[in-house]
Amino acid sequence: MITWIGAATARIADEIGGIVVMTWQVLRAVIPPRVDTRELWKNLYKMGNRSVPIIVLTAFFAGGLMTLQTGPFVKRLGATAIAGWGAGYAILREIGPILIALMFSGRVGANNTAELATMTVTEQLDGLRALSIDPVQFLVVPRVIAMMIMLVALTVIGDLVALNGASVVGHWMLDIDWATMFHSFADNLKPHDFMHGIYKSFWFGGAIAVSSCYFGVTVKGGAVGVGRAVNASVVASAVSIMLLDFFITYLST
Amino acid sequence: MITRFGQSLVDLSRGTRDLWQVYVSTLAGIIRRGRRPRGELARQMFAIGNRSLVFIIVTLGFIGMVMTYEACLQLSTVTGDFSQLGMQFIRLVVSDFGPTLTALMLATRVGAGIAAEIGSMKVTEQVDALRMSGVLPIDYLIVPRFLASIIMTLVLSVIGGTVMYLAGGLTAKYSFGVNPNLFFDLELLRLRHVGLFVVKALAYGAAIPIVAGFCGLRARGSSEGVGWATTAAVIGGSFAVIILDFVLSAAALFVFGGDL
Repeated sequence: MITWIGAATARIADEIGGIVVMTWQVLRAVIPPRVDTRELWKNLYKMGNRSVPIIVLTAFFAGGLMTLQTGPFVKRLGATAIAGWGAGYAILREIGPILIALMFSGRVGANNTAELATMTVTEQLDGLRALSIDPVQFLVVPRVIAMMIMLVALTVIGDLVALNGASVVGHWMLDIDWATMFHSFADNLKPHDFMHGIYKSFWFGGAIAVSSCYFGVTVKGGAVGVGRAVNASVVASAVSIMLLDFFITYLST
Repeated sequence: MITRFGQSLVDLSRGTRDLWQVYVSTLAGIIRRGRRPRGELARQMFAIGNRSLVFIIVTLGFIGMVMTYEACLQLSTVTGDFSQLGMQFIRLVVSDFGPTLTALMLATRVGAGIAAEIGSMKVTEQVDALRMSGVLPIDYLIVPRFLASIIMTLVLSVIGGTVMYLAGGLTAKYSFGVNPNLFFDLELLRLRHVGLFVVKALAYGAAIPIVAGFCGLRARGSSEGVGWATTAAVIGGSFAVIILDFVLSAAALFVFGGDL
């Protein structure tokens, strides 16, 4: 039992330490900004454009769910004018950024870990080092920048789609007027709420990027190791999304 | 353009059919009690349940704190009346957030684990070896994980929901001074909310291992294939949870006539 707790603590400390070291290396590599632009554009396209369909679908259903959850309560009170308040507020500040970040971590973060891990186990990273190209500089930095930019962009799209999903569900399932819903959004939601979610998603993007790259670069063993690395990367991303969400919300108010 | 669209449509329908086949053969495997290693169910329950316990407690605890904090913040600027907060929160946790967020977390943790394991067995040809020795891979690999996941998702949802509720109550008390007696009030909780909780947890618990096992069995090539299968399992699992949540919530709304 004690050995087990000790081993688990040592492993978690090892992972957190590795992620911090990776963050430091990324920061040091961007201080005079030297980014491989071709790699950056490739990653922006691959991570951003290719994720739009899944993000849009998720956001639509998430928005609909928020109306489904708050709608009956609002209707019982007979106050459909505040229907957009609960749903919109929850979408913009919490559910939108968190759900989109979770899907992004599954779609892009996991994919990124798998790709880097495959490169590591096939010794392509050692090949880069032999050519005196720093793998962090060449592979990790463009990915981190691309993920931070693209998660913000996808959250903007996703928030708007989720608000539309909320009004579609409100209209078809709860008989709330389109106009009532949109007036209710406009009256109760402030730009500040929207910016709060966007600000969070920027940091979520960084956390997903750094942990997915860390687990990709440090993988050991062949195919089994790659699977395990992807698993560890999505778990670390999910935990850091939740922790960051709490601390950003707590500190920024 | 049209070719590409048609191609992806064909792929999608073929994928759906294969997924359905995996589901049906899993159910058939349970009914016909196919061969599986002794003690495998207990081992899978340990791997899926106990190993995810800390993860679920940490993530759901923090999300419960954030949600109460945001709700309190909004209420304090608008009405300043916290009397409804706890009642509404437990209603939402039981009928939606508890099982759904637990399942979303499990879809990443458990779904990726199952896909990585089965995917590595597939690319190292262990699955073919099973088939050669006359054992159906679905009976041997997916059925125990399916049963273990159904049981453990329900158990973990109960634990996760409780943690979320308690963390919310503590946040409300220490950040906004809401009286715990007022917060921990179960007046609005009905039997139908608990029923919805159980139905959702069972549905998610069934969906996650099926999607993950399907992705694992489809893995091809070597390490790249395993990585791809794991990614697909995470995305498919999370997406299945969100769709099921939407469908079940909408169905409940119609069944209970808008009085959810």
